[in-house]
Amino acid sequence: MKFASHRTDTVEVNMTPMIDIVFQLIAFFMVITNFEQTQADERVKLPSDQLAKPPEVKRDDKLTLNLGFIRDRDGNRIDPDPYVFFGDEFVRVADMTDKLESERQFYSTLGTELSEVTVEIRADAEVPTGLVQELIRKCQESEFERFALKATIRTD
Amino acid sequence: MKFRSRIAGTKIEAQMAPMIDVVFQLLIFFMLTLKIVEEEGDFNINMPIGRPAQQTSDDINLPDIRITLEADPASGELAELKIGPRSLGNGPEAFERLNLQILRLIGGAPGRATSKEQEVEIKADYDLHYRHVMRAVSACTGRMENGKLVRYIEKIKFAPPNKREP
Repeated sequence: MKFASHRTDTVEVNMTPMIDIVFQLIAFFMVITNFEQTQADERVKLPSDQLAKPPEVKRDDKLTLNLGFIRDRDGNRIDPDPYVFFGDEFVRVADMTDKLESERQFYSTLGTELSEVTVEIRADAEVPTGLVQELIRKCQESEFERFALKATIRTD
Repeated sequence: MKFRSRIAGTKIEAQMAPMIDVVFQLLIFFMLTLKIVEEEGDFNINMPIGRPAQQTSDDINLPDIRITLEADPASGELAELKIGPRSLGNGPEAFERLNLQILRLIGGAPGRATSKEQEVEIKADYDLHYRHVMRAVSACTGRMENGKLVRYIEKIKFAPPNKREP
């Protein structure tokens, strides 16, 4: 049997449009990626407010405390009590004294004045106010002075 | 001037494969690290618990505006919002009324020196949902006008918390 002989011309794929698109995508993801808010915990459903403004001057020293409920994937509460999400631990507000004390020591080893450190409180919209105040009081006992309450920016 | 003639016909092809490898790696990295978060803002608060506010003789001594938020003990929702002894009701209109009252108390002119010194003290029930406190803080802070913030009061503090009722 005789096969028709193929010609051995290499077909060159035009790569230019693909590379264009891929670079566009990379640029898009690079611009949109936010490495800043790594301490934000997505389990905390912040209250939203029109007047909440991002700080005008970037804070160099900040301690973020996330106070919220342990939730399942659908956002339902697993435990009725709120906890502070401290690293991988769940700490009750009443047990925060030791943790804040170690934070205070950490800042004093760095040589940072505690009056320069802003404690950013990210508390869930449904947390009892008294607990937030208790957390602030505990921070004050550990000599933290500056506080900021976080909210998502509502745009309507 | 005469140029040396180049050897014609040798076309150097750029190696695309490694570049595409790296570019795809980058693309996948950025896609996986992407975490869509809502933009966050904050309110600064003034917390003088255990450290009374330092008053100099130059300070104009203005009485604090006291705002009380009472909670419905069963649900933690707002039961009553008060400014001084006056009730403003509950619900979203209450915060609108609070905003108007604050404007009236600072003399209808935001940004004056006196309104910068004016302090607001918020006293809330223990079980009240934090959301309502934030709305009260926001109502005291100011209002949005044509996309710009008109600031009423800058100094906001909390009264020491009430003990939780057994």
